[in-house]
Amino acid sequence: MGTTVAPEQILKELSELWVDSGKQGQAEGGTGVLRACSMTLLVMAEASEDTQSLGETIAALMPEHPARAILVRLSGAGDRSLTARVYSQCWMPFGQRRQICCEQVEIAVSDAALADLRSVVLPLTVPDLPMIVWCRSTRLLEMAAFWLIADMARKVVLDSASAPDAAGILQRAREVVERGVMLGDLSWTLMTRWREMLAQVFENQQNAARLSCVSSVGVEWGGSRYIPALYLGAWIRDSLAAVDVNPALHLSRAADEDFLRVRLTGEGIAAVLERQDDRMVVTLNGQSQCTNLPQPTDYLLMREELGIVRHDPVFEKTLASAAQLAHPIDK
Amino acid sequence: MIFGANGDLTKRKLLPALYRLAYDRRLSAGFAVVGISRTPMTDEAFREKMLEAVKEFSEDTTFDADVWKAFAAGLFYVAGDIGDQALYQNLAGRLAEIETLRHTGGNVMFYLSTQPSQYARAAQGLGGAGLGKGSGWRRLVVEKPFGHDLASARELSDRLHESFDESEVYRIDHYLGKETVQNILAFRFGNGIFEPLWNRRYVNHVQITGAESIGVEGRGAYYQEAGALDDMIQNHLLQVMATIAMEPSATFRAPSVRDERSKLLRSIRPMTPDEVRQNTVAGQYGPASIGGKDVPGFRQETGVGPHSQTNTFAAVTLFVDNWRWAGVPFYIRTGKRLAKRVTEIAIQFNPAPLHIFDHDGAGSAPNLLIVRIQPEEGISLKFLSKRPGSGMTLRPVSMDFNYGSSFGERSPSAYETLLLDAIVGDATLYTRQDMVEASWGVVEPIQNVWRESPADFPNYAAGTWGPSASDAMLARHGHVWRKP
Repeated sequence: MGTTVAPEQILKELSELWVDSGKQGQAEGGTGVLRACSMTLLVMAEASEDTQSLGETIAALMPEHPARAILVRLSGAGDRSLTARVYSQCWMPFGQRRQICCEQVEIAVSDAALADLRSVVLPLTVPDLPMIVWCRSTRLLEMAAFWLIADMARKVVLDSASAPDAAGILQRAREVVERGVMLGDLSWTLMTRWREMLAQVFENQQNAARLSCVSSVGVEWGGSRYIPALYLGAWIRDSLAAVDVNPALHLSRAADEDFLRVRLTGEGIAAVLERQDDRMVVTLNGQSQCTNLPQPTDYLLMREELGIVRHDPVFEKTLASAAQLAHPIDK
Repeated sequence: MIFGANGDLTKRKLLPALYRLAYDRRLSAGFAVVGISRTPMTDEAFREKMLEAVKEFSEDTTFDADVWKAFAAGLFYVAGDIGDQALYQNLAGRLAEIETLRHTGGNVMFYLSTQPSQYARAAQGLGGAGLGKGSGWRRLVVEKPFGHDLASARELSDRLHESFDESEVYRIDHYLGKETVQNILAFRFGNGIFEPLWNRRYVNHVQITGAESIGVEGRGAYYQEAGALDDMIQNHLLQVMATIAMEPSATFRAPSVRDERSKLLRSIRPMTPDEVRQNTVAGQYGPASIGGKDVPGFRQETGVGPHSQTNTFAAVTLFVDNWRWAGVPFYIRTGKRLAKRVTEIAIQFNPAPLHIFDHDGAGSAPNLLIVRIQPEEGISLKFLSKRPGSGMTLRPVSMDFNYGSSFGERSPSAYETLLLDAIVGDATLYTRQDMVEASWGVVEPIQNVWRESPADFPNYAAGTWGPSASDAMLARHGHVWRKP
C-alpha cells in the first residue's frame, strides 16, 4: 500500500494559506492579499516533464486567467501512491499596493492510483466556476480513470501533436467531441494566426472574386507539424466547400523541421503562406508581405484556449474532417 | 447544572465555550458550574478533567492559568443516576450551598446533555425536588433530537412542561448560533438592497447543503437510529431554511423573530406519499477509496447492521405556500461521507430575460448568492463580467466577503453565543415547541414513506455528492445541484 492524500487536509491547508498570506501582507505594511479565481485549472503532466518550465507556464497564465491550479504529476508505474502539497502564486500588479494571489496544489500520482484522483479533485474544484483540464500526456486519453476526471470538466485541452499516432489521436479526439465533451487542441490553436492571415487575403474583393478559381490546395509540413497541416488543409477545404469551391487537396512532407507552408493556386490566383523565423510571409500573385508571428509557446496557446470556454463549432467540424484525412506516418 | 458532564459534548463544546466566556469576562464573578453524571468523582477530579478538555478543545483561545484558576473555583460535581430521586435531593442541597458560597442569586440553568430518552425523567426529577422554581430564574436547555416524530415531540414537550414553563425551555440548535446564520438576518434586514429581490419574482430556487466528509466515526449505533433526515434536516437545515425565507420581523426580539420562523415552517407544504416519491431521495454510502485510502461503507461501520436501512444522505424538495415563495423550490441535501465538509445556502436568481451576449449559453450563468456557514464563513455573490480584451465574452466572477478576514477578529463559537443567550434570557436563537412540531410536520410524511419502502442501499460511493437519484430529482425541475 502506497501513500494516500486526504482532500480535507488539502482544503485546510489552502484555507490556512490565505490566512498566512493575509497576515504576512499586512505585516509588511500592505493591505493584505487579494484572492483571485476564475476557474479550476487541472494540469496533468508526466513527472518527466521539466517542472520549472511547466510551473513558469502556469504562473504566466495566472494574471489573465486566475485559477486554482492543480498540477497532477504522473509518476507512471509503481505502487498505488498519491502525495500532495499546497502553495500560492502571488504577483503585484503594476501601480498597485495589494498582491494578487492564486492557489496551487501539486499532486503526484502513480498510474495505479489514478482511479483515486477523482475523489481528491472533486472537493478541490472551485464552486460555480468552470474546471478546465489541460491534458499534457496523450496516453491518458486511453485510460478510463482519466475520463472520470475529465467528465467533471467544462473543457479538456490537449495537444494532439505530442501523440505518437496522429491518425489515432485525431480519431480519438473526434469520438470525444461526439460524446459532447468540449475539447480544445493546441495544434488547432496554433493555426489561429494562419487562418486569420489567409482569411485576410480574401477580404480584398478582387481576391474574393477569384476564390472560385482555386483549383488546388497544397499543404507542406515537416517535423511535428503533421497535425497542424491536417487541420489547416481540412479547414481550407471545408471553408471553400461552403461556397461551392472544391479544389484538390495535397498534403506533402518536407525535409525541414517544424516546417509549414500552404499554397492555394488556380486561374489568376497563387497565394502562399509560410513561416520564416518569427514572421509569417504571405505571397499573393508574386507580391510578398510579412507580419509578426511569434514562435508558439505553451503559454501563448493555452492563454488563447482558456479564453474560449465554449464549444467551437469550426474546430469540431475541422477535427472531423482532419480525422478523415489522417493516416499513419513515420515520426 | 450540566447533566451528562462526563460526556463528549461537555468536554468538546460546553466547557471550552464557558471557559472562553470567562476569558472574555462575559460571566459574572459568582458563576458556577455543577457537573452531574453517574461516575463518582470529586470536585477536584472534575476540575482536572475539565482542565484537560479546555486545553484540548479550545479553538483560537490562549490558555490563561489565572483565568482558569478563577473559573475552576466555580466548578463542582455531583454523582448520581438521573432516574434516582435521591440525586435531585442531593442537588437541591448542593445548590443551596453554592448559592451561599458564590452568591448566584438563585438563578439556575439546567443543561441536559444526556441521552434524549432521559430528558423527561430529568425534568420530572428536577420538578419533583422543587428545583423547577426558586428565588431566581430557572431555565432548562435541551439538546436535539426533540422527539423522533410529531407525537413523540409533543409528548416530550408535555413532560417538560410539567416542571418548566415553555418560556423556560431552551431547545438548542447549534446551527442557529453560528455567526453566518445570524448574519443572514443582518444581511437581509439590515440592508435595503436585497430584500426587494427576496421573493418568487427574482429567486429561481434555493439550495441548502449540509455536507460532511466524515462517516459516522464510531457513532454507528446512534446514527443507525437517527439517519440524515432526522439528524440534520428536521432541525438544523429546516431552521436555516426558515431563517433564509422568513418574513421580516417587526422587532429583533425573541418572540417576534421566533414567530416569523415558526410561521415559515408552518407554510412549508406537507407532501403526499406520491410527492414524497418524486421530491425526496434517501441514500446510504457504500465503501470507496478516497485519495487512495479505503473507507468502509455505512453497513461496514462498527455498530451498524449489515442490512441497515438508515439513510446517511437525504435530499428533499420543499415548497413554501405563501405569497413570497409560491412555486420556488427549496432543495435541501445533507449527508455523511460526501465530497467535502461544507454547509452553504445558494440562492439562485432568475437569469436575465434576454441573452444578448452569446448564443450558446456560456455567457448566461445565473446570479448566485452564496451564504457559507462552514467551514469558511462568508457570503459570495456570483455575477457575469466582461472578460478583458476584444470581443464581448462574459465570464462568471465572484465577489467574496469572508467573515474571518474582513473583521480580523475571532468569531465566537456557536455554543458561546447560545450559552450566553440562555444565561441572559434571550431565546431568539432557540427553537420553540411550535417550531419543532412544524418541522416534524414536514419530515414525518417523508419518514412514513421511506419506512414503508425499503431502499436498495448503498446507492452512493463515499467521497461523491450522493446518489444519482438526487441529481434526477432536481433535473425534474430543470435544475442541477451546485458542487460547493
